[in-house]
Amino acid sequence: MKIVKLGLILAILAAFIVPAIVRAQSDPGVRPGAINGQSGATATNPLPLPSVLQNNPAGSLEFFQNGLTRFQAVESVSNSPTGNNGLGPRFNLNQCSGCHSQPSIGGSSPASNLEFQVIANGVVSGSTNSIPSFLSSNGPTREARFPFFFNSNGSPNTNAPNGGVEDLFTVSGRSDAGNCSLPQPSFSTAQQTNNIIFRIPTPVFGAGLIENIDDSTLLANHSAQASNNFGIGGTFNHNGNDGTIARFGWKAQNKSLVLFSGEAYNVEMGISNEIFGQDRPLPGEDQLGSGLPSSCLNLSGTGYPEDITNFSPTVSSSDSFAQNASINSDVVAFAEFMRMLAPPIPSSTTPGGATSISNGRALFNSIGCATCHTPTINSTQPSNITSSLGRSPVSAFSDIEIHHMGTGLTDNVSQGGAGGDQFRTAPLWGLGQRIFFLHDGRTSNLLSAIEAHQSSGSEATQVEENFDALSPSQQQDLLNFLRSL
Amino acid sequence: MQINFTRYLVLLGFSLALLASAQGAPQSGGDFSSNPDAKKLPTNTILVKGAWSSASDSATPLPETGKVAQNVYTNPYFGLTYSFSPDWTEKYSGPPPSDSGYYVLAQIRPANTSKGTSRGSILITAQDLFFTLTPATSALELVNFTTANLSTDYQVEQPPAEVRIAGHSFVRFSYVSPVAQLHWTVLATQIRCHAVQFVVTSRETNLIETVIQEMNRMSLPNDANPTSGMGGSDLPVCIKDYVTGENVTERVDPILTERRFNPVPVRIVIDKEGKVKHIHFLSAFPEQAAVVTDALWQWRFKPYILDGHPVEVETGIMFGRPPRATTPRTTRVATE
Repeated sequence: MKIVKLGLILAILAAFIVPAIVRAQSDPGVRPGAINGQSGATATNPLPLPSVLQNNPAGSLEFFQNGLTRFQAVESVSNSPTGNNGLGPRFNLNQCSGCHSQPSIGGSSPASNLEFQVIANGVVSGSTNSIPSFLSSNGPTREARFPFFFNSNGSPNTNAPNGGVEDLFTVSGRSDAGNCSLPQPSFSTAQQTNNIIFRIPTPVFGAGLIENIDDSTLLANHSAQASNNFGIGGTFNHNGNDGTIARFGWKAQNKSLVLFSGEAYNVEMGISNEIFGQDRPLPGEDQLGSGLPSSCLNLSGTGYPEDITNFSPTVSSSDSFAQNASINSDVVAFAEFMRMLAPPIPSSTTPGGATSISNGRALFNSIGCATCHTPTINSTQPSNITSSLGRSPVSAFSDIEIHHMGTGLTDNVSQGGAGGDQFRTAPLWGLGQRIFFLHDGRTSNLLSAIEAHQSSGSEATQVEENFDALSPSQQQDLLNFLRSL
Repeated sequence: MQINFTRYLVLLGFSLALLASAQGAPQSGGDFSSNPDAKKLPTNTILVKGAWSSASDSATPLPETGKVAQNVYTNPYFGLTYSFSPDWTEKYSGPPPSDSGYYVLAQIRPANTSKGTSRGSILITAQDLFFTLTPATSALELVNFTTANLSTDYQVEQPPAEVRIAGHSFVRFSYVSPVAQLHWTVLATQIRCHAVQFVVTSRETNLIETVIQEMNRMSLPNDANPTSGMGGSDLPVCIKDYVTGENVTERVDPILTERRFNPVPVRIVIDKEGKVKHIHFLSAFPEQAAVVTDALWQWRFKPYILDGHPVEVETGIMFGRPPRATTPRTTRVATE
């Protein structure tokens, strides 16, 4: 009887205490409080850089606001009352801020996934489009890519790398899309054959500061980290035109914010522009020689590109700066908005208190995270745009290098000089208020995201090993620090 | 009962039909087709490689081809055999060599490690001294540089000093992170113009000492030494920047047609007659490796004479981007 009782007590202890030990450290979750740590910022009104907030140079604030407004514009195919036409014929969503909105416009995936609601919201026709199974109402907004083209028998052809974006939806069936009839890609086939990967939106807070770091500073940082004892190498992705260091996107494949905007406008929303001047077919449609059917071309009726510089803007405001800003094409306006968008401000006390965050910061440095996630790079380059961008510390927690991340994270998509397993060190500023982590948004748990850094072929395996060597309270400090960013 | 079962089957069929109609968009778009028997891609496999390592033959050992089997790490290139504690293992292999010549040779840890309980780890690395970004020409200089530029997050426990491990000379350097309560001990020697380093990390200094004691079971080539490991004997002699001046008698430059902008570090072995015998790309795209290989087979060198006899030479050449000047740590721009 005593033995039975003892066993019962042990079982109860095991049931309650063991999980408590296992979960002794946990992701504190999205940090509450001020958006981006900025007083005055709201979900729809993120703050610009300090000098822009002071309207220095004159007009910059107007350009920022103009870009912010356009970033929120809802695009139609052809009959927009506000003239925002050109959507499609294929697209992922109809609004930049639909995907870039956590914790405010300019951020990453929101809690509520608008891609999942496109039929319910009337953005696409439910008779011609279905919601891919990898989307969910509270999951990350995603774009999909097929690493390889398919053979005629439906098997992925590993001799034919693809990797281009397979837009989720088509305009077919919309009342403003004429007779354009296009199918969605067969995402179910791609999933059955493991020939599909996902990407979530990268936040663009502080993007202008990253854009303005001179290459020599990045190269010097690379050399300075070369004698690390953590097994970390790293290299840079380069722009194919001028050979300088590219820096935007999950694989640092894009050189500049204008390029980044132009590509996204064309690829994610199907809007041709002055950088990417044609409507974009799927990778297979283009390379198999068929392209888009004529019934799906020039749906806006405006000719190409659909987004252009406004030579003669009609602006009701008498403000000359407002008139000037309205001259920009959308992609330039988006780039101006992102360039002048302020970086997040970390909290010194939340979560976990100042001591925990301070310890976490020191641990972050000590165990090797900071070798790639370089806390601050001091840009030495002056800015011709606004003073806050020039010769400024860039606390992005990134070396802007691409690193091998191993078999666990590889997506088998090559972009520029980056191979299938190489990714840009993701900037961590603003991490505290992000919901989804890693390139495909596979987790909302910061602890899981850290653990994913370890796999065969990853440069971060030893650092993750060092993380495992920390005590639970030290790990908690590090998690608190990351959520303070 | 049978009727019920049939009813369920009908319902199931109807449900499946509904599901199918939900996915009912045409499947014949661009680059896809539908086939339930289609071949699946393997998961967790790197199929699309960027710049990667490769070699002109598969028989000649390379630095990155060392293996852990049972509890022994064997690296034929470095002539290294290291038998570690039987309850330690390698769970994850390392990344490919970097384009600055940095190798992760092995990552060893206790086999029973679970999250949050790691007792320690042994990281074995090599830095090719022909391509390092650090201003160091020997393993000793590399460790000294690391020591001199140690971040303020650490405290030196033992400054670099020569020690004997397995009958060979190593430089030993120990430091600690007070906040992490983690200790690091680096044991470095030089083999074939590479700084080979064993980095032992643990919260327990006695565990580190035990690991170091066990390293006495290691076997190394005779020339392993922190300042002068240059190969020789039955191996090629390694010489930095041998491909210069009158050493080269015939040279056909490769024509790299694609602008990649990446460094392409290459180690070659020149035979006693002055012909290229072996080519190892530390990092190159396949088309770069092919073009450079075709060119290098045509190069000819003056035989290298050592003690009156021609010997094989191992040296490094950088294609693609010119080698970057090393940056002294004093100009470090990353701050915290």
